[in-house]
Amino acid sequence: MDLDALKAARQKGLQKLLPDRPRVAVGLATCGIAAGGDRVYAALEAAIRDRGLDMELAKVGCIGYCREEPLVNIQIPGKPCVILHRVTEADAEEIVRAVAAGDVPRRLALCRVETWDPLVGEKLDFGTGFDDIPAYADIPYFAPQRKIVLRDAGFINPEDIDEYFAVGGYRALYKALTEMTPEAVIDEVIASGLRGRGGAGFPTGTKWNFTKVEKSLRKYIICNADEGDPGAYMNRNEMESDPHMILEGMLIGAYAIGAREGIIYVRAEYPLAIARLTRAMEEARAHGLLGKNIFGTDFSFELTLAEGAGAFVCGEETALIASIEGKTGRPRPRPPFPAQKGLWGMPTNINNVETWTNIPVIISRGGDWFAGIGAEKNTGTKVYSLVGEVQRVGLVEVPLGTPIRTLVYDVGNGGIDGRDIKAVQTGGPSGGCIPASLFDTPMDYEHLTAVGSIMGSGGVVVMDETTSMVDTARFFIGFTHEESCGKCAPCREGLKHMLMILDKILSGKATRENLDLLEELSGTIKKTSLCGLGQTAPNPVLTTLKYFRNEYDATLKGAK
Amino acid sequence: MTQVIIDGKPCAAEEGETLLVVARREGIDIPAFCFEESLASYGACRMCLVEVVKGARPGITTSCTLQAADGLEVLTETPEITGLRKALIELYLAQAPRAESIKALARRYGVEKTRFARKVVKEDPLQNRCILCGLCVRVCGEIMGAGAINYIGRGQFTEINTPFYEENEACMGCGACAEVCPTGAIALEDRTDTRVMKSWSETKVPLARCAACGTFFAPVPFTRYAHEKLDPGILDALKDLCPACRSKAAARKAILLKKEGVIPPEPELQA
Repeated sequence: MDLDALKAARQKGLQKLLPDRPRVAVGLATCGIAAGGDRVYAALEAAIRDRGLDMELAKVGCIGYCREEPLVNIQIPGKPCVILHRVTEADAEEIVRAVAAGDVPRRLALCRVETWDPLVGEKLDFGTGFDDIPAYADIPYFAPQRKIVLRDAGFINPEDIDEYFAVGGYRALYKALTEMTPEAVIDEVIASGLRGRGGAGFPTGTKWNFTKVEKSLRKYIICNADEGDPGAYMNRNEMESDPHMILEGMLIGAYAIGAREGIIYVRAEYPLAIARLTRAMEEARAHGLLGKNIFGTDFSFELTLAEGAGAFVCGEETALIASIEGKTGRPRPRPPFPAQKGLWGMPTNINNVETWTNIPVIISRGGDWFAGIGAEKNTGTKVYSLVGEVQRVGLVEVPLGTPIRTLVYDVGNGGIDGRDIKAVQTGGPSGGCIPASLFDTPMDYEHLTAVGSIMGSGGVVVMDETTSMVDTARFFIGFTHEESCGKCAPCREGLKHMLMILDKILSGKATRENLDLLEELSGTIKKTSLCGLGQTAPNPVLTTLKYFRNEYDATLKGAK
Repeated sequence: MTQVIIDGKPCAAEEGETLLVVARREGIDIPAFCFEESLASYGACRMCLVEVVKGARPGITTSCTLQAADGLEVLTETPEITGLRKALIELYLAQAPRAESIKALARRYGVEKTRFARKVVKEDPLQNRCILCGLCVRVCGEIMGAGAINYIGRGQFTEINTPFYEENEACMGCGACAEVCPTGAIALEDRTDTRVMKSWSETKVPLARCAACGTFFAPVPFTRYAHEKLDPGILDALKDLCPACRSKAAARKAILLKKEGVIPPEPELQA
């Protein structure tokens, strides 16, 4: 493939993405399918066929508004793209009839999108009209959001590389390979200030350099897609809605680091993500974007996919490497870090899915552009899965540094049935519970740590006044206890005893001494565990003890 | 050579040497259960915590995974470290209530009892002494090359035994597992002509009988392994002798030489 071929592919993709006849596209990520999207798709297909209508029916990923699913995009040439929500099979007839007449059913319309900016390519102009339908930017759920990682999600067909070309796909790779040295690529990523989105927040460009400077015949890069936090599905949607963005990010990273082989490690519980990534890799290979001499340069790269076997701890990088090597998924002490001794003993760079997806836009728009988004030392956006006792649940992308309040009240519209929100839990099972009184806290790596929680991979679980915080803490300790690999004693034994004490507390039989022991043990586990899982596992207990001690006290023997 | 400072004492060390080894050589007794010099550091028991005061990564870390480097300065018994060790000892006392070495360490640290629920399993093959340090698994797999035992399950449900809790012919009966076990959890018993690995699903290994004195002296598969891997040059006639008889045989080689021709004649010394 060369530049002309890339341009031609874009034109071909644009004809699919913006055809000269109506296009009906159903949001079919796992969430959309679960909400009945596949039945809607089948009903639409039948309705179009039965009437012999001249219109396209397509599958797209998910725009992230989980509560309103199934979502259907209607594109009529010259008109704005209209997103229909809560569509059922019964609506199919009405939809195709309206579309055939150049209209959309108003009662199903959520919003209209006149133009969409894919950031790395030319804007998509859908058209104008339908002024009575609210504009995308006026929808409270979308208004505070800034889509960078999810810019294509819900608009393009994730199973068609042509549509990725249409939104400027693989142009950043072309730029990196033909105009930039590997050092310049790393400098650009360093300038962007991008930090690892898997949770630890380590500067990505610096991390790449660690592997780059190692002298070795072979180096690897790995995409960590072993997303396992309860209630978190950022990476799943990133893979299901825009798999090529991950591939492009990895290709650019491999070029910068000097790796010729890469592996995407996906949990087996994500079959659709695996299918779409596999298809994306086949398409990329067919277009010469994987394999030898990519874009006619000296750069060659092979990518494979490895499936996880269900252990949460395999998201930890040394356990992940052990798992790929066919060993039991147990972490090992670092150093040596994977950058020195990783997969098969070779220098290895591991980044989370979302980290990789940020790379193409950084190369296309420049590190400075990226650094202008977000907050001090916390540049760019972060995708959160907003779930729990909040009205509007869904996948939300906002600049780093956005206050918790914005997420919970502006995007999420507060509690269900007018109930008061009590706390949010960020960062997955080893995150902390942050009380409503601290909702002005900016969501960035440092501020979340300061209040006793973590950024983690981006799970945000909202709890309202009906939620028992002791019960919440018990749930998360139950989870980490079950997922502890059992290698080091504090995590294996300590979490077991924490769980026993919490059960005692919940049964109303605990004493003050039990509570003190729980707190002391939490500190021990945090300070002495081998890996990140154990070191952060007590956070739900420590934060609920800090902010909601009264709920613990109320359960103690003799408290009533 | 480089110099590290442990508890204020300058100690000579090889660059990259394990700090725990350096400390022990200097007579500083840092407790550790999962460390064995012949194996790679594992970092699981967390007992050997030290505080790095000066070095690349200041803070509390395990000395079995810490490498000696110039200017490295550590403390091995700060109040915080002692507190953490005591807490870990309490966890071990609850996990392995019959382990004498844990009780001894508890006495050394002034831990009188554990505040955690003690786990006592009836008919535990590891005698309620196992703390899952993994030394047996690693020595069996990495040094003996047998891999007869491994972890079963995960997390708090982790156990160590043979696959499917069945007798395992991969076991050579060498007993290296019992030798390295820091808590004496592994039981084996020699019953006349058979070694019974009581902890490992009663795996039975035949014992070799000395051709000279008739005592049963070592497991047959282990002697075979030793002859093949460790001493391939050993004379056939010595293979069936117990260590005592082999010594005697060597001492009486002249007699053996004369009477039975066991040892080949040595070249005659020139006067």
